[in-house]
Amino acid sequence: MRWATRAGLHVDRTACAWLIRRFIDAEAEFVFAHDADEVPAEATPFDIRGAELSHRSGGCSFETILARYELDDPALHRIARIVHEADLADERFDAPEARGLDVILRGLSLIADSDEQMLALSAPIYDRLYEYRRRATMLGREPG
Amino acid sequence: MVEVGSWVLLSYRLPREPSAPRLAVWRKLRRLGVAQLLDGLVALPLDSRNREQLEWVAEGVVEEGGVASIWIAKPATAREERALATTMRERIAAEYEAVIAQAHAAAAEAARRHRRTLARLRRELDRIGRRDYFPPPERDRARAAVAALAAALDQGQRA
Repeated sequence: MRWATRAGLHVDRTACAWLIRRFIDAEAEFVFAHDADEVPAEATPFDIRGAELSHRSGGCSFETILARYELDDPALHRIARIVHEADLADERFDAPEARGLDVILRGLSLIADSDEQMLALSAPIYDRLYEYRRRATMLGREPG
Repeated sequence: MVEVGSWVLLSYRLPREPSAPRLAVWRKLRRLGVAQLLDGLVALPLDSRNREQLEWVAEGVVEEGGVASIWIAKPATAREERALATTMRERIAAEYEAVIAQAHAAAAEAARRHRRTLARLRRELDRIGRRDYFPPPERDRARAAVAALAAALDQGQRA
């Protein structure tokens, strides 16, 4: 399936793309548009103004996608809070990891020369963040 | 000729009632540190993050039954831009001043309970820093005052 988002990826969109590829559509192909009007008709848009899979009720797009696809993994919900705070910094959640994630993603965007490369570089970070949160959920405490 | 910079503008209108969404929008705009040009017209220096943040506010306004649009604009003269920057800088300077006053007061007491004050002031500095587009001299003074509070608390602990 094809998915479309705005070019110039940062934390919410890289996290959404990772979530889609890992939990919703393993064959996902991404296209990057500069304007909502450039989105190909057959692609599912996310994190674009006016799209269903976008910011909703003060939440970020990652939270919207979790709700829409009924993903109830607690580790993903914890990551959603981190992504929310990294993206919106409105202190709705207590997620001290957010500042670090934001800085890491900003650093990656300085070395990535395309949105495709940005996805390739950021996916391993989300994989590991997910693994950490998954183990923390199992143990009931932060892994040592 | 002096170059003027680009700004991203949000123009919006929300129904007067209910007041909760209006308040929520106002809080978001305050957190972003916008310059209020008119009632329902705010501006931030243009960068991709500011543009995106204002776009999401616009989206929220529409979700609540209001109207909103996003514009990219340049002040016609450097003087107008300076006036805008000065207003923003003065407001941020007052926020730093509040941090400085609290840091000094806590450092004078150097009581253990001020560990919490220190953590709160550090978070506050971080918040202010995110919306500080034209850093005033108070920024460095505020950082120094918070660092001095940390040092005073360390001293107190060793004594």
